[in-house]
Amino acid sequence: MRVLLILIPFAWRNLWRNQRRTLITLLVVSVGVWSILTFNAVIRAWSDSSLAGSLKNMTAEAQIHAQDYLDDPDMAHSFPEPTGELLQLLNSPSVANWAPRVRTPAIIQSEYETLPVTLVGIDPDREAGVSFIADSVKQGVQLKDAKDEGVILGRHLAKRLNTRIGKRIVLMANDINGRLEERGAKVIGIFSSSPTMEDSFMFTGLRPAQKLLHADGRLSEIAMMSSAQTPLPQLVTMTRQAAPGLDIQSWDELQPMTKGIHDLTEGFIYVWLWVMFVLIAIGVVNTQLMAVFERTQEFGLLQALGFRPNWVILEVLLEALQIIGFGVLVGSLAAYASVYFLQDGISLEGLSAGADFLGIERVLYPRLEAREFFTTVIVVWGLGVLTALWPARRAVKFNVIEAMRST
Amino acid sequence: MSKRLWGMSGAGQLAIGVIGMCLCHSVWAAQPDPTQLIKETFDNWRGESSYTEVTMTVHRPDWERSMSMLALTLGEEDSLVRFTAPAKDAGNATLKLEDDMWIFNPRLNQILKLPASMMAQSWMGSDFSYNDLAKANDVLTEYTHKLISHIQQDGHTVYEVEAMPKPDSATVWGKLVIHIRDDGVMLGEDYYDQDMKLLKRMQTVKVDTLGGRPYPVAMTMQKADVGDAWTTIEYLNGQFNIDIPQSMFTKSNLRNPRPFTPKGAE
Repeated sequence: MRVLLILIPFAWRNLWRNQRRTLITLLVVSVGVWSILTFNAVIRAWSDSSLAGSLKNMTAEAQIHAQDYLDDPDMAHSFPEPTGELLQLLNSPSVANWAPRVRTPAIIQSEYETLPVTLVGIDPDREAGVSFIADSVKQGVQLKDAKDEGVILGRHLAKRLNTRIGKRIVLMANDINGRLEERGAKVIGIFSSSPTMEDSFMFTGLRPAQKLLHADGRLSEIAMMSSAQTPLPQLVTMTRQAAPGLDIQSWDELQPMTKGIHDLTEGFIYVWLWVMFVLIAIGVVNTQLMAVFERTQEFGLLQALGFRPNWVILEVLLEALQIIGFGVLVGSLAAYASVYFLQDGISLEGLSAGADFLGIERVLYPRLEAREFFTTVIVVWGLGVLTALWPARRAVKFNVIEAMRST
Repeated sequence: MSKRLWGMSGAGQLAIGVIGMCLCHSVWAAQPDPTQLIKETFDNWRGESSYTEVTMTVHRPDWERSMSMLALTLGEEDSLVRFTAPAKDAGNATLKLEDDMWIFNPRLNQILKLPASMMAQSWMGSDFSYNDLAKANDVLTEYTHKLISHIQQDGHTVYEVEAMPKPDSATVWGKLVIHIRDDGVMLGEDYYDQDMKLLKRMQTVKVDTLGGRPYPVAMTMQKADVGDAWTTIEYLNGQFNIDIPQSMFTKSNLRNPRPFTPKGAE
């Protein structure tokens, strides 16, 4: 213990014998740590935003369907509107929001074009907090309620159809018996979203959609969001128990691609951590080796005076511990400052079209999570010191006599 | 009942029309009922049943081709069209039963039911779409009709009837304007988009006697704003109100044509 008390200031003073080299090493470590932490926060914000965006694109956190609907999404695979136990669960505090839908492939026709589209009959009030359509109607008006007979089209689809608000389009879809039904409807609103959403979906009131498809009181889908009090997997299990005949799946089963991308982003954060760490390690090992070789004679002399080899190793390790610790401190403070500076969000308005294309929201909110912050700090610090074992061992591998003789 | 009446010969039709009109309107000659006008025209066009030999010419700025076909219709809903020339197209056939359409391709030896998404596409590369064939009757059921003008032309009165889609009708057009001669000959149909801009126009270019009735024997369909591109349909031969068995309008007959020679014309 007394040795440590001597060695700590000893190592500290040794560090500052070559100020320039020490400052450069410090810089390498702190820039490395800063970049790991800041990139982590930004990429995680990106990934979360992209996930939230994907879930809002009509997936939600979990969906209820009739069996086989996912393989053949027509009205023959529909189920009655929820009653009893299922309705109770949906209205319980375990579910934050839920939205009943009719959702089936359809054809939309204007004077100029005929295009395939997915017809979605919705209750507009229930979509709030579940899907993008609740707040994406940019021109015209939103559907008033589930009885509204108007239709809402995506901006790009409306452009391709050469139609606009106030005009009539013809909607064709197979009804519950598989017969083709058609109806004229007036365009009352235009929504803006990602190009895929704009081209794939059109919305109308739930009741008129059921009427067109001769499916009164039947639904294709219930989309739901879990509340903070019940974790999603638990909610899915509870729903499966409440509605044994129905097909209930969570977003990661419905959208394996989204799940994959989310996992890949997590992976990328760790890849970045390791790349930066290797760079830091190379920098530290290099300078420490230099420092050790410079002091060959000195270490020889110390040992001749009674310094134990272990103390030499300890001394070199303490140098690494201090310089990396100091660098990590500076780096994490800088990262904290950066994220604090960005806490009001990174606005992507400037590249909004591109952001839409990537399916993320317009503003990213980077956050540093305490657990990740400390994991990164400790991993970099600990592994940095471990790599310093190599120069430390070199410092005691000399023959004392020869070391003292060299100049 | 009314269908049979309207299937009668031109003179009989007119007589019934006169009686009918006289009962309801005292001044029918000045103001015929536009809906009846369109009905008469469609019945004159198709009859109770019909057999026609038709040549279709598709004209484009840098090419032109002609196809010959035989067409059978029964009632308002059923029709069968079979191409006979040129050899490349011979055997292709289109069957329409109510709102559904099937096409048969002899090279593939396949019957294909036309999906809704294809109904707006061009029929055999012409300026007619499948919908023009399948939904011709919509003008009677999905629109309200108004007589907007009449003019004297070649000793006939030509009426102009404006057809506005009923609210929420399953139709995309803004309006149709139909030109009808007083003897029930269709002289043309103009299609407008919902900004009331002319999109395409069907015009009768020649009226003659066919199967014993005045008939639009040559009609041209042309899209607005495309210039030198049009499709003409010419009726070479025709018989109306003949016996055609319902079995002609089946998918099995679409694939394996039974011989049919019209006889017992009116």
